[in-house]
Amino acid sequence: MKPELRVLAASGQLGYGIPEAAFSAGIARAPHVIGADMGSIDPGPTYLGSGRMATPPETTRRDLGLVLAAARGLGVPLLIGSAGTAGARPHLDATLQIVREIAREKRLRFRLASIAADIPKSLVHDARPLGAMRAMDLERTTHLVGQMGTEAFIRALDAGAEVVIAGRACDTAIFAALPLLRGYEPGPAMHMAKIVECTSLCCEPGGRDAILATLSDDSFELESMNPARAATPLSVAAHALYEQEDPYAVQEPEGTLDLRGARYEAIDARRTRVRGAAWLPRARPTVKIEGAGPSGERSVLLCSSADPRVIANLRDILRDVEAVTRRLVPGGDFSLYPRVYGETEVFLLLECIAPSAERGLAALGVFRQYLLHHGFAGRLSTGGNIAFPFAPPELPAGTAYRFTVYHVMEVEALAPLFPLSIEDIG
Amino acid sequence: MTRLADLARVVRSKNAGPTLLTIDVLFAETVHLDRALPVLSSSRISSRYGIEADKIRIIPCRPAMAIKIVMPRELIAGDPGDRDVYGAQQHAPLLGIEV
Repeated sequence: MKPELRVLAASGQLGYGIPEAAFSAGIARAPHVIGADMGSIDPGPTYLGSGRMATPPETTRRDLGLVLAAARGLGVPLLIGSAGTAGARPHLDATLQIVREIAREKRLRFRLASIAADIPKSLVHDARPLGAMRAMDLERTTHLVGQMGTEAFIRALDAGAEVVIAGRACDTAIFAALPLLRGYEPGPAMHMAKIVECTSLCCEPGGRDAILATLSDDSFELESMNPARAATPLSVAAHALYEQEDPYAVQEPEGTLDLRGARYEAIDARRTRVRGAAWLPRARPTVKIEGAGPSGERSVLLCSSADPRVIANLRDILRDVEAVTRRLVPGGDFSLYPRVYGETEVFLLLECIAPSAERGLAALGVFRQYLLHHGFAGRLSTGGNIAFPFAPPELPAGTAYRFTVYHVMEVEALAPLFPLSIEDIG
Repeated sequence: MTRLADLARVVRSKNAGPTLLTIDVLFAETVHLDRALPVLSSSRISSRYGIEADKIRIIPCRPAMAIKIVMPRELIAGDPGDRDVYGAQQHAPLLGIEV
């Protein structure tokens, strides 16, 4: 019999404000490890491409301070994955900088490990696309990362790390690393990790409060640290579907989590026990790789129409006004993407991607003016076809990014791809 | 006349990575799942989403009393012209299906 191992999942998205009451309740349960996920590519290509964080700096600092102080107070490891939203070098460096500043302010001492996830472009030529991903565009890739697995976190813990800040990582790796290091069954450990990475989202009602998982020999128990949220067999089983392509098989770098045998059983109204997941190790590890880069400068035009004849003819009007705009704006090297929302009163969002913000705003300015006064058969609205919420109604929206790589590759070994740095703080 | 929105407990959509869309339809009773399953055919979903039927997967998941639908995204998430970067509002075309 192994002793029970308590894993506290503090956040599925560190930096947006960890609910404090549930987190404190979790700390009071004396977990053996605290984990938090800090990002993914769910918010699109902009953060990976630009190197910026999605989370506001103030709440990011607050959340990191909260988990660092609690972990050091208990003397247990703190593991954070996908640092700074997308987990590339700039995200990792910015997160480490905040961690060092907090440690100085709060006079914390610990061994800090950072694990980089940036993949050299020369290594990825044989990777295969995932889903309907287009061909790889390495030339236009500003950041290229791989999702590390439990191996990297275990290496950091083996090196005596008390705080691990990892670049892009599988969510599961954060929460399964310590259980695997301590010799717990990989099936239940990985299944537990898969569920808790979104904290109390697997509960009824779902929410962002910390969740506690208690692992024993061949099963684990789930309990939200917010008493208003219940982990029921149905709510937990349903969570296995969330954001997953296959509800029964989860692909990880070192193998596949097979959920076909998973069983969920109520302990009481708020707690569920889970068992039965199998772990099928892979002969050669695989790494999911993600890249993004700029595709131009984005600007947007915001306007609306309440005129039924404009609305009825909008498709033709937009086509004709685009043709006029292309004749008038030099270069023609911009792309326009109209989105029309609504039926009786419509909102028009026109996105423009151009080589420069100036060119994009020029195109949208001309487009807007010709759209306002465009003549069409049966027109009543000769004062203007559209309404502007403010003027000018076209706004620069910064550099646009796109995914350039979303592929998977087989590798000989994972460790060389995810180098570890150790630093003694305080 | 009962529609899917009346029969299901949850109808949610989200990306599964930037190239795939996944829709989960959760029920409160197994009989509801059994009633909806034959109606949620790939040809019916194809006509509502404009995605070829052979690219749509429908996976019943009984332990969760759920039906999962997986299909390719029309645009890779975040590409110019994308209307839904997270894919969180792509469930609506299913809601009115008569079950």
